[in-house]
Amino acid sequence: MTAERYLLNELTPDARDAFEEHVFDCPECALDLRAGALFVREAKVQLPDFVASHPRSGMAKARGKRTSWFSWWRPAFAVPAFAALLIVVGYQNFVTFPALRQSANEPRLAPLAPLRSATRGATRPTFTADRTHGVALPVDLVIEPEMAPAASYSFDLRGPQGKLVWTGSLPATAPGADSDQLFSLDIPGGMLQSGPYSLMVTGVTTQGGRTPIEQYNFDIVMTN
Amino acid sequence: MAGRTLQFYSFDAKYVEDLCAGDSQTQEHFVAYFTALLKIKLRSRLQSFHAIDDVCQETFARVLQVLRRDGGLRQPESLGAFVNNVCNHVLFEYYRSSSRSESLDAEGAPEPAATGADVLDIVSARQIKENVLIILMRLSKRDRSLLKAVFLDERDRDEVCQEFGVEREYLRVLLHRAKQEFKVEYVKHIGNQVPLNADT
Repeated sequence: MTAERYLLNELTPDARDAFEEHVFDCPECALDLRAGALFVREAKVQLPDFVASHPRSGMAKARGKRTSWFSWWRPAFAVPAFAALLIVVGYQNFVTFPALRQSANEPRLAPLAPLRSATRGATRPTFTADRTHGVALPVDLVIEPEMAPAASYSFDLRGPQGKLVWTGSLPATAPGADSDQLFSLDIPGGMLQSGPYSLMVTGVTTQGGRTPIEQYNFDIVMTN
Repeated sequence: MAGRTLQFYSFDAKYVEDLCAGDSQTQEHFVAYFTALLKIKLRSRLQSFHAIDDVCQETFARVLQVLRRDGGLRQPESLGAFVNNVCNHVLFEYYRSSSRSESLDAEGAPEPAATGADVLDIVSARQIKENVLIILMRLSKRDRSLLKAVFLDERDRDEVCQEFGVEREYLRVLLHRAKQEFKVEYVKHIGNQVPLNADT
């Protein structure tokens, strides 16, 4: 790194003299120093243009962006894009929206499956579900007497790969009560996929304190 | 053209003998090779290009005079050290004379226009420019700004390093890498054709 220190004027006068004495006698180091000095000299010439050319290139980029934005209106892009848009709108009007309307206004049947807490050593159950009906899981929370009274319960549903797929909360039916609490978790088929799931239930006190209550682990197998 | 290409000479008895005998090819190599080094050395000590040229010329004149007078060097392999030594003497005399009288070192004098540049010089200079441009483009914006602050704006190194949040070692490594990259191209693509005084 002596050549770099030399080029950066970091050497003491004595060290500089010693380095020069060596360089004048050593063709290899001389070539190294010449390359470095030439690079620095040429960089000094080019760096101002380089810095100055940035705004210009930025403007050119902006011009390029404007051109590419308007190019979307060219028929080659616009015609297929509008055709695709019409197909999507048609599918939503004739298939998706009626199905949603029906599911919102009609009673829905879903298979009911018992769910056991993992903390109580229950085996991991497997539920079969389909896209239409999903699955309904009864959550039977056992509240221990020594637990801090919860004002609400927080639910974290994690899907395959441990990814958090849903989170929700529900007020406790009888705050402070030490009896079991029963909920039903209906998971629509649209958000399910085959794989391991876990549901973590946490009690939340009025002061915001959180106490894990139960964790339910189960597997989902989709049939369609 | 052969005399203008890079050839690797070794500074031995034969080289010094040819130099003393006035062999044109050896003399051309000698002047080109040491001009590059002398200019690098003198740039940090003298301000004007005229003064640098004058010291270079005086150094060569004295070296050749001594070699011819004494019929060579006792240790031919130390020719480089001898040139450096003579340059130090010339520089010392220059400092002394410039403090007494009007300086050779015309402060701020513009660099004299290069003379005698042929197509090869122009092509080589263009290749050098392109290589440096490519290396600069590969650097991050921050590294380019760092180099500019140090070499062009000539700002205080510590202040610059503090501003950019880097250590002094980072600057050295940055320069080292850029230099190494340039050197590869310099030797590979230009070195075989470049006249030795192209980087003077």
